[in-house]
Amino acid sequence: MGIRLYKKLKLEKPDLVASWPGIGNIGIITVDTLKSQLRAEELGEIEPWDFFYPRKVIIRGGVLEDLEFPSSKFYYKKLANKDLIFFIGEEQPADGGRLYAEGKKAYQMANLVLDVAERFDCRRVYTSGAAVALTHHVLKPRVWVVTGREELIKEVKSYANTYLMGEIEGSGERGTITGLNGLLLGLAKKRGFDTFCLMGEIPDYLSGVPFPYPTASKSILEVLTKLLGVEIDYGALNEMEVQIDGIIEGIYEKLPSEVRVRIEQRKSIVQAKPEAITEEDKKWIQEHIDELFKKEGEDRGPS
Amino acid sequence: MNSSKRKEKTEAPLNFSGQPELESPSFIIGWHLDAGRFGEGVIDYLNRKLGGQSFCEIEPADFYPLRGVAIEDGIVHFPESIFYACPEKNLLLSICTPPAYEWYQFLNLILDVHEYCHAKELFIINGIVSLSAHTSPRQLWGTVNSAEFKTALSLYNVVRELDYITPPGQRPTLNSFLLWAAKRRNIPGISLMVPIPFYMVAVDDLKARRKVLEFFNQTFDLEMDFSDLDEEIRRQNQIMYEIRDSFPDIDQSIMRLESNLRLSEEESQRLVKEIDRLLKERRD
Repeated sequence: MGIRLYKKLKLEKPDLVASWPGIGNIGIITVDTLKSQLRAEELGEIEPWDFFYPRKVIIRGGVLEDLEFPSSKFYYKKLANKDLIFFIGEEQPADGGRLYAEGKKAYQMANLVLDVAERFDCRRVYTSGAAVALTHHVLKPRVWVVTGREELIKEVKSYANTYLMGEIEGSGERGTITGLNGLLLGLAKKRGFDTFCLMGEIPDYLSGVPFPYPTASKSILEVLTKLLGVEIDYGALNEMEVQIDGIIEGIYEKLPSEVRVRIEQRKSIVQAKPEAITEEDKKWIQEHIDELFKKEGEDRGPS
Repeated sequence: MNSSKRKEKTEAPLNFSGQPELESPSFIIGWHLDAGRFGEGVIDYLNRKLGGQSFCEIEPADFYPLRGVAIEDGIVHFPESIFYACPEKNLLLSICTPPAYEWYQFLNLILDVHEYCHAKELFIINGIVSLSAHTSPRQLWGTVNSAEFKTALSLYNVVRELDYITPPGQRPTLNSFLLWAAKRRNIPGISLMVPIPFYMVAVDDLKARRKVLEFFNQTFDLEMDFSDLDEEIRRQNQIMYEIRDSFPDIDQSIMRLESNLRLSEEESQRLVKEIDRLLKERRD
């Protein structure tokens, strides 16, 4: 079980930005967009075989050539004022078919990521993900923030569209960030890093859909780029957003009108006290979302 | 509980109960729960014929949820992974329950035993599901982890030119994972697969077992007499013949498979269910 770094280099006061797949792949899209836009280079990887079952075998002429595993890779970018390290995990190491990692494997993986952060003398660790909220998909997702120290709150709250997790109506003062995106945050704090988690809102009725939600990633990036002091081009993300919006609208139109009415009310009251869709509505949506998604896919034809 | 038969358990992942007397043996490993009860059937047969003695097992606690115990046809199935030595024929045998997690650690324990016994090569056997009829001849497919080992196997009747990439949505077999792990430890290995007709997956596919046993008989000069297995195959063929004769719809389905035609999902499910039921009924 170990880390393999591809090159020896010195980085100046780097920050680490890490993510694993989760709801709407919001965190992964965030980090992947940053990594691509800044043209970050590969730095190394966590050896996967202790964490994952392989996902592909390649056999040619009767000889096993290779076995591929989900990757857990580090990237780096040297910048004028501070350098950056990105970590992208293609899968969370989950035992027994669970979606989110927990227990020993998750703890080991999170510690390996932080070992790299420590080796390069990182000061800050950022994670990002989804905040399932009673919002509407046409509203700009807010960014819920969590930090490791009270002193950091002021800094992150100085940027527009940011809200402390406890400030959001319905989120409660206490909450949990599930999986490795949350666990890393806790361990990073324990190991003395300054930690931030930025979570983009996704409407509750879209939290189970099998496609990404780039709108929330965009909201996170608008804050994260400022925290990191970088600028990026949102063109590719905007294109993805338009495409996904089309799919969402198609599904939304097929929701029963009484559900739509309740969700529509959120447009005007979400910032105050949004009305939750009923448990019955939620159950209906969960039961029909795959069906609606499939229908929408068929209506649009192959792209 | 008979205390004299009770084995001492340790916390170590490998629990040794004896010292095998082997000299650079070949190692044959199969899996419980594979198609046609292939691995279990082959390793049982080899153990019976060659006087295999168990000397080691993998402790299950780290590899299975152990929330209870599985019962099939009134029989308890507890995960077990046991190693046997056959000193007379210099063979190391093992039958393992596929782990539910910690796969790499589990596979390395198997390879630890391989190295402990100074085994020279690894043969992993596995039944794979096929759409062919039970009347078609069984083939033996081989995938090796080094080109050198492939050349060494050229004398035997093994299909060795397989090209395969795991399709999206599927995962590689544990055989491939073990073969790859062996390669990392410079252990030459071959995965031997026999296609099992899909409607024989839950029952004993004796012809498939015969195919790989023939290979081992020839490769290791084991001088095994297969008359008992041939008699069982004859009986199974007779039962299958009677089933086809008594149930025209089953016969029709099998005839279509024999003509390389596909069955609908519903027809396939029915064939699986009926063959399973009737074979068990008539065998008893």
